[in-house]
Amino acid sequence: MKRSELIAVLAALVTCSGAAWAEDSVTIGVHASFSGAGAAFAEGMLAATEFAAEDVNKEGGLEVAGKRYKILFKQYDDRYRAADAVTAMDRLMIQDGIRFVVGPMGSAAAVATKDQTTSGKVITMTLAFTPRALGADAPFAYRPVITTGEFSDPQVAWLMKSTSAKQVVSLLPNDETGQQIGVANFNSYAKAGTKLQVEYFERERVDFVPILTRILMKADGLELGGNSPTTAGLILKQARELGYRGPVFVTGGDVSAEMLKVAGKDAAEGTYVHLPIDTGLPDTAAYVTRFKAKYGQNMNGFSPFFYAGLQMLFTAMKKAGTVDDTTVIAKTLDGLSDVPTTMGKAGWTGEQKYGIKHQIDLPFYVGQIKDGVVTKVATCDVNACK
Amino acid sequence: MSMNVILAQTVVNGLMVGMIYVLMAIGFTMVFGIMRIVNFAHGEFYMVGAFLFAILYGSNEMQFAVSVFLAVGATALLGLVMEWVVFRRFRGNELNGMIASVGVALIIQNSALLMWGSSARTVPPVVSGVLSVGGIVFPWSRLVVIIGAIIAVVSLNLLVGRTRIGRAMRAVAQDAEIAQVQGIRVDVIFPAAFALGVSLAAFAGVLMAPVLSVSPFIGLAPTLKAFVIVVIGGLGSVPGAVVGGLLIGLIESFAGTFVSASLSEILQFLVVIAVVLLRPQGLLGRKEREA
Repeated sequence: MKRSELIAVLAALVTCSGAAWAEDSVTIGVHASFSGAGAAFAEGMLAATEFAAEDVNKEGGLEVAGKRYKILFKQYDDRYRAADAVTAMDRLMIQDGIRFVVGPMGSAAAVATKDQTTSGKVITMTLAFTPRALGADAPFAYRPVITTGEFSDPQVAWLMKSTSAKQVVSLLPNDETGQQIGVANFNSYAKAGTKLQVEYFERERVDFVPILTRILMKADGLELGGNSPTTAGLILKQARELGYRGPVFVTGGDVSAEMLKVAGKDAAEGTYVHLPIDTGLPDTAAYVTRFKAKYGQNMNGFSPFFYAGLQMLFTAMKKAGTVDDTTVIAKTLDGLSDVPTTMGKAGWTGEQKYGIKHQIDLPFYVGQIKDGVVTKVATCDVNACK
Repeated sequence: MSMNVILAQTVVNGLMVGMIYVLMAIGFTMVFGIMRIVNFAHGEFYMVGAFLFAILYGSNEMQFAVSVFLAVGATALLGLVMEWVVFRRFRGNELNGMIASVGVALIIQNSALLMWGSSARTVPPVVSGVLSVGGIVFPWSRLVVIIGAIIAVVSLNLLVGRTRIGRAMRAVAQDAEIAQVQGIRVDVIFPAAFALGVSLAAFAGVLMAPVLSVSPFIGLAPTLKAFVIVVIGGLGSVPGAVVGGLLIGLIESFAGTFVSASLSEILQFLVVIAVVLLRPQGLLGRKEREA
């Protein structure tokens, strides 16, 4: 073979591989707390991004306006601190030029980075429960998980009716996340005719016995929603060690798997938990199985929500015909409804509550731990649980 | 629950927590007293001890005593390696030693994260149930912690006070050069003291693993507590660490029970500030002699 023929063959091979595998790419940043008590949440977010990228890339990339884009991802650790969250977001936006973010994870991080992402027109998919994470002043911020603001009222009303608790105490971390959840829970319990006493502690605390000794004296219910899975498990374990036998509610977040590991089966027995997913749905069940097979541990319940959020984002990119113009993508994303996702058909809600329709719209559930397994005991929407 | 019962319960809770703080702080203050290194990696040895115990006792279901021995022994070995590789270069160099210890802490924590993952592990209780006396509840798991900590402190006291190596450690702590002139092998005493210090941290981790949970991030809080305690008790003073540890445990317990959790943190640091202002050498520390 002549030298010119060899070069021609090599050039053809390069062209063919280029056609089969897109040169262009879209990078998703995962901005979360990979170190610290909330690492289980962060890993769930990262797994969702990894799966979404894997699935799109398996099909030859994301086809937008006739071009195929490989989905890449890069993770950034904010160490559960607002200051580190700002630094990580700067690196993500300026250094790496990323325009799509799974995160920020915590409320403090979401509030601290809101101005940055808004002015940089970066589309974010946050886990932050604070109402301040969404709003007309943050047109690029979306929340693909269901928060206390949506599930608290119907869930608490159903729980109080089921258990007849009249004086409930709650332990929450003394930061933006904890305080927002404390106020939301207080209002929800008041609406259900129950008094909620909220006690705040520093996030690093691991020994809750002194606080529990005091607050459990008059309580007939213990609310742990809003805590990280590890912290919820520790409080539950220590409350049971002190002889507390009343009902325990975890009305915020999906903490069941980790909490069970920390508290143990006996201490967790009978605990009511917020159940964000229904593993009876085939796609959701497949996601759970896939997670377990890949990471060898139980999945954090928020993970498939982020996968669903990314499915919606990719749909919006395809419809908008661009992967660069985030203003057009956001506008298209806003208009999506009944998008088939791994969690069922999803759309956006929240205009009345947040002033912008950027809150994911999906059903949620109440579960109860029985013999180490979470069983669904009620299905809810924003109006009621049945 | 009557006020007397709550008071008694609060004292017991404070002593339980205080004894763990004592164990942490003794190791921390020993390393400072002998090597003049403020070891901010101390809590990471607590974490390693707890993790090894979780693996041996929790996952591999080895015998309790064997698991304790292996977990503490392996952590002591890690301490020896760290002393030989890193800390021996910083003996007597307080500032650089402290900075190096922060680096060692990050390396150990992130290595644990890579090896064992971020997910929290639980260790089956060594004992379960509660002892109820006159309305006061003593969880057996926490009583084991108190008993274990007391045994460790008494053993250490005997080791330092009655043995040849203990006397050598005290001599080196007082003046390493004079001790060397007297024939004491300081190149053996330094690593031995460091290994002993981190063994105490590892033992505290082993004791607390079944009570709390184990993850790569559990080391920071005990390190900060140990630092606060030795500032209160006096850097390098073992009796000061005991007094400081119990004091902080009781403050935490009383403030947490009768006022609020946040106030307990504030109170601890108010005590630290008061001690630093009024008695800079700590409650039981000795003043540094000026040259």
